[in-house]
Amino acid sequence: MSVLLAILWKDLVTEWRSRDRITAMLLFSLLVVMVFHFSLPGGATRETQASAPGLLWIAYVFAALLGLNRSFSLELENDALAGIALSPVDRGWIFLGKTAANWAVLGVAQAITGCVFALVFDLDLAAVAFRLALVVGLGSLGLCSIGTLFAAVAVRTRFREVMLPLLLLPLLIPVLLGAVRATAGLLENGTLAGGPVQLLLVTDAIYLIVSFLVFDYVLDE
Amino acid sequence: MSEPALRASGLGKRFGRSVALDGIDLELPAGASLAVLGPNGAGKSTLLRLIAGLARPTSGSLTVAGTPAHRPEARARVGFIGHASLLYPYLTARENLVFAARLQQAPEIAVRVERWLEGSGLARVADLAVSHFSRGMSQRLAIARGLIHDPSLLLLDEPFAGLDPRAATRLAEQLASLHAAGRTLVLVTHDPKRAAELSDRAIVLAAGRVVFDLRGDEAGAAALERAVLAASDSAA
Amino acid sequence: MPPSPAATSWIRRSLVPSGLALAVLAILWIVLVARAPLDGMQGVIQKILYVHVPCAFSAYAGFIVTALCSALYLWSNDERLDRLAAASAEVGVVFCTLVILTGPIWAKGTWGHWWAWDPRLTVTLLLWFIYLAYLLLRSFTEGSARTARFAAVYGIAAVFAIPLNYFAIELFGGAAMHPDNLERGSLGTGMGWPFAVGALTGLAAYLHLLLLRADLEALRAEAVHPDPGWDR
Repeated sequence: MSVLLAILWKDLVTEWRSRDRITAMLLFSLLVVMVFHFSLPGGATRETQASAPGLLWIAYVFAALLGLNRSFSLELENDALAGIALSPVDRGWIFLGKTAANWAVLGVAQAITGCVFALVFDLDLAAVAFRLALVVGLGSLGLCSIGTLFAAVAVRTRFREVMLPLLLLPLLIPVLLGAVRATAGLLENGTLAGGPVQLLLVTDAIYLIVSFLVFDYVLDE
Repeated sequence: MSEPALRASGLGKRFGRSVALDGIDLELPAGASLAVLGPNGAGKSTLLRLIAGLARPTSGSLTVAGTPAHRPEARARVGFIGHASLLYPYLTARENLVFAARLQQAPEIAVRVERWLEGSGLARVADLAVSHFSRGMSQRLAIARGLIHDPSLLLLDEPFAGLDPRAATRLAEQLASLHAAGRTLVLVTHDPKRAAELSDRAIVLAAGRVVFDLRGDEAGAAALERAVLAASDSAA
Repeated sequence: MPPSPAATSWIRRSLVPSGLALAVLAILWIVLVARAPLDGMQGVIQKILYVHVPCAFSAYAGFIVTALCSALYLWSNDERLDRLAAASAEVGVVFCTLVILTGPIWAKGTWGHWWAWDPRLTVTLLLWFIYLAYLLLRSFTEGSARTARFAAVYGIAAVFAIPLNYFAIELFGGAAMHPDNLERGSLGTGMGWPFAVGALTGLAAYLHLLLLRADLEALRAEAVHPDPGWDR
């Protein structure tokens, strides 16, 4: 547990000082909003509000892919990943520490992106802010858990930028389905639908547990 | 303390199709000091990484104080200093040491970190980000990082590379006193003089096998140099 | 560890019986399919179902085998299991591709359009992507020590995604357009036997191809580093 917190602290401090991940993620999200505006038949406006939940989560997934890749490429500098692998604890805790850090950084990007979406699509987020945060948190936990596992795998293959989305996207479908439905439900009529949230909880649990158990094999040389 | 600090038995490591280590048998009692020499690509770094628990053997067995090397309990006893510094450029020297100490679950972190900063001559730059460090400073910090938790088995992969003569002498003194205090040392080096100075036993690897195992008087600098040359020729 | 001679001979010895079984079943299947009644509404197109469904069984069986072998490989570090996992994925992806190709052909003939996002079809498409990602991962880490391990990790994680995706899509996805033909009662008369034999043939084909592929992998591995017992 202390190792989890140590890694979380280290990643957040590094991110704060370098700010390279969050900048890239935010810039990308904003660009994506503009691309959506030009791709949608009615533009990104109040009239096309119904598309907002789906598009929001697409933006979140892209941002997550950017951040996840970076989280492990940083560790390859100076072979720092070996330093972490030397820790005399079950390596699943290392996985959890990394996941927590990715989740936190993604969360910041998501909050800001969400506000931009609210502005553009004229959404009223204040009314459902708390529950929306819960849904977004659960959804990105699913993204970050399996994402962290595969980022650790992808970073040591050729074409790592291509590898991660290919590995990750099919497995993110349950997360996306649950998250988009729940978000849509909240934005349409302020209700938190039980079905999607349950799906998110089950998926998150399975992905966290499986990743925790196999992470040891990913760190081995 | 009846268990040897290190025991390798038929130890082998393959990476896909290439063989890095092949049938290594080695037993090292606690408190011994072993130098590992050999030409490039002989498997010296791989051997160290296996002992550190960073990789698993593909054949044979390897134990550290009786426990298989890749288990967490074994990793707790080992201090590893590799080719790369294992340092984070955006963190300061102090933060790097604190992080390493927390990873290794060492007690009394604050006191420990200050002690090592002083001992490495880095107290004045403790709050400087590592990205600004010179090669020598990074190397000294890397060594502190590897030993911050007072491990009983020290693994050092060419620690003298990149050090100026004064820092190198300081390090040699540090290692000698750690050895005198009972720590077990495994030192990979290209320098036969350092090897002879710091260890009482030396093995020479070539193409993943132990080709020479020299102890005591046999392990003088000149003898080691000849052995390494012979090993390089046979491997070529 | 280099493969022991015993490993390859086990697979080699099974090749002949599995090949024979496949040949027999295949002939039986072709005969039954040819003689099966034509569906009144759909015509001959309906017979493609006798290919489509068995391929689907094999496609899913293939990935389950890959996942199982992956888990066992991580636990035991026995290379043979990794080769079996890889072989199963290569064979399984072929069957999966057949499912996705034959599906729209039948769909166009019966529903009138090439594609529909119904749960089973969508999940099979996802399975296809998962297979391809697995094989791509293996080739992008080719020659590295980590290939087997990374592929195994992916195989294990991805196998959980399949049921998750299925339930997710069924709950929220498109309307189901697949006939629920798993219960015998919904099949027309005369269709039962061709289906049953078809399923067996599909699995036999998968098994035989799997063994062939695994044998090839074992031969390749042995060619690269022969068992030391043979030349020392």
